[in-house]
Amino acid sequence: MWLYLVPTLAINVVIILIPALLTVALAFFQWDGISAPVFIGLGNFAALWSDGPFWTALQNNLIWTALFLTVPIGMGLLAASLLLVVPRRGSTLFQVVYFLPVIIATAITARVWQGMIYSPVTGVFGYLQKLGLPIVNPLSQTSTALFGVATVDLWHWWGFLCVIFFAALRQVPQEQIEAARIEGASFWQMMRYVLLPGIRPTIMLMMIMTVIWSFLVFDFVYILTQGGPAFSSEVLSTLAYRKAFYDLNVGQAAATALVISLFGLVATFFYIRIQSRESV
Amino acid sequence: MGYRAKIALAGAALVALGASASVTAAMAEEKKPITWWYETAAPENQEALQKLLVEPFNAAHPGESLSIDFRGAELDKQLRIAMLSGSGPDVVYTAGPSYVASMAQAGQLLPLDDYAAKLGWNDRVLPVFLELGKYNGKLYALPKTYETLGLFYNKTLFEKNGWQPPKTIAELETLADAMKAKGLVPFAAGNADWRPSNEHYVSIVLNSIAGPENVYKALNGEIPWTAEPFVKAIDTLNNWWQKGYFGPNYFSLTGEQAFAQVATGQAGMAPTGTWNFQNVPRYFPQNNAVPGFVGFPSAEGVPYPIYALGIGSTFSIANSSQNPDGAAEVIDYVFSDKFYGDMNTVWQGEWNTPLKDLSKVQIGADVLPLYGETMKNLAASVSDGQYGYTTWTFLPPATDTYLVSGMEEVWLGKITTAQFLEKLDATFKEEKAAGKVPAVPKR
Repeated sequence: MWLYLVPTLAINVVIILIPALLTVALAFFQWDGISAPVFIGLGNFAALWSDGPFWTALQNNLIWTALFLTVPIGMGLLAASLLLVVPRRGSTLFQVVYFLPVIIATAITARVWQGMIYSPVTGVFGYLQKLGLPIVNPLSQTSTALFGVATVDLWHWWGFLCVIFFAALRQVPQEQIEAARIEGASFWQMMRYVLLPGIRPTIMLMMIMTVIWSFLVFDFVYILTQGGPAFSSEVLSTLAYRKAFYDLNVGQAAATALVISLFGLVATFFYIRIQSRESV
Repeated sequence: MGYRAKIALAGAALVALGASASVTAAMAEEKKPITWWYETAAPENQEALQKLLVEPFNAAHPGESLSIDFRGAELDKQLRIAMLSGSGPDVVYTAGPSYVASMAQAGQLLPLDDYAAKLGWNDRVLPVFLELGKYNGKLYALPKTYETLGLFYNKTLFEKNGWQPPKTIAELETLADAMKAKGLVPFAAGNADWRPSNEHYVSIVLNSIAGPENVYKALNGEIPWTAEPFVKAIDTLNNWWQKGYFGPNYFSLTGEQAFAQVATGQAGMAPTGTWNFQNVPRYFPQNNAVPGFVGFPSAEGVPYPIYALGIGSTFSIANSSQNPDGAAEVIDYVFSDKFYGDMNTVWQGEWNTPLKDLSKVQIGADVLPLYGETMKNLAASVSDGQYGYTTWTFLPPATDTYLVSGMEEVWLGKITTAQFLEKLDATFKEEKAAGKVPAVPKR
């Protein structure tokens, strides 16, 4: 039985545990990635504490999490419940359409939005500007850059949730739905008292994963704005990346990564607790 | 296929593999390998390196076997890890002098002073660049290419409007206002693809407004970055931004899209680097426009023009190299007149090796004469000491990345010039104390 575990355990130790432990250790060292690391205790954390962009990045991660806990989950639930009403063949078509953005590589999605939609020269926004609409590229404004990036991620993401929720909704026992229908429940009553409670575990899981994923967000931000303008769309992962590979400050990057993991850890804790409670 | 047959087949494959490995090993014994990891290059550029460097070098050195491995955009990270474990290439191609300092400090590079004396690099290479490759008094690196900042403009547009290329900041501002009045964007500029473009403009004002003498003093720690000349420089740059010289789409345009606007006549001029010469043939001829390039205007009291020097990448030899003599010969080949001419005929802007004397260099007839002229002027100006310092080459890494975002904060009104320079100065002092500031050639 133990032999059975060896392959997965070995992979986990080599590519997860060792790098993770090294990262934890590096957070307490000053290291440029080239010469020998120097132990500085909590120095990296103290430096982050007094670093303005770190707090901006943390705040942006929290805004991002709040946004993704509500908008795409709401959109996904709404669309999934509408799919229930649509005849079978139509719902398959809609599922494909909703799911399509999920399978496009993020780099391509980001470039399409940047060049063909937001750009004032080559994009739809530029065309609308020429028609006289007072519309600007959201990525170029400090007040909207983060939301501009989030919109792209949202467009790419919500279809996934929709398909997951739809699959879960179809698992709700037919008898309960039938019974509610015979009792004369309206669509909203059906949602409120039968369907939503029926897929509660799926929604919980998606929400917890959303928290974890929101703190890991990197690709869209890095491609679309690189954290700018003026740090306005900086998130913890882009900050860590810049510290490691541009500032050659691997220690502070590791400390930033630990903060990211901390939020993931809290979410995981809640997930495991809910899981164990439900399995009892 | 039966179980035994499979095993027999696998065995045969193994034997064949072993045999071919021993054949290659035997061949390698005759020729000493030299390895070089290169960054991203377009297919036609990879071919140019193969045809103009690898093939002629190997033909001229029968005992050596040079091979170039294209490692893509992640070269810098791969190289750092490989150097740590002593398994890197013989020719070490770093992203710039700040990397050289750290690697030399860690004992990963071989001092090149003996090769420089033996192979005549001291006579062939511009002395400033030899200084730049030094760490603790020893030579560790030679720059592959150098670049400078100046002002591209549309000659056709200037002639039509009776404009002259500006030589002073006052003339520049008058001209920019005239362009704005005509509905043109004065400065073609954009950072959507490369946010560090911000530092091109900071480098320009530091050198052409505060002046290279002051930048030199600040780099050596004699005056702080908060000194008055720098305040004036950043205030001026901020003032240009607030007056709209950079146009409404700075954060939306890519560098190339912005540069194209000079050719189309939507923008008047482009304060940018010599690397944009590669975009000239792509946009100017099809718009029937003639390109011009001059040094950036200088403020009162600063000589004109000042060419801020920047280095893209550098060559060193790994301390762990089995074939350092071969690696030195490769570097020597790159620093020949013939290679300069051949390479710049097919690939401009990326192989401007810092040779002292370009008069014997032959560049192909199809290449824009403005390019050859500019490079010759530049080499002569640097020889005469009329040069400044780009931030990406001379500032230590964290100071430089702060500068990129910090300037945006000033432009967008999040912080003041004073706050920006204070943080810049604090970061710089920290890095200077840690020995991260690259070598600064004496003036």
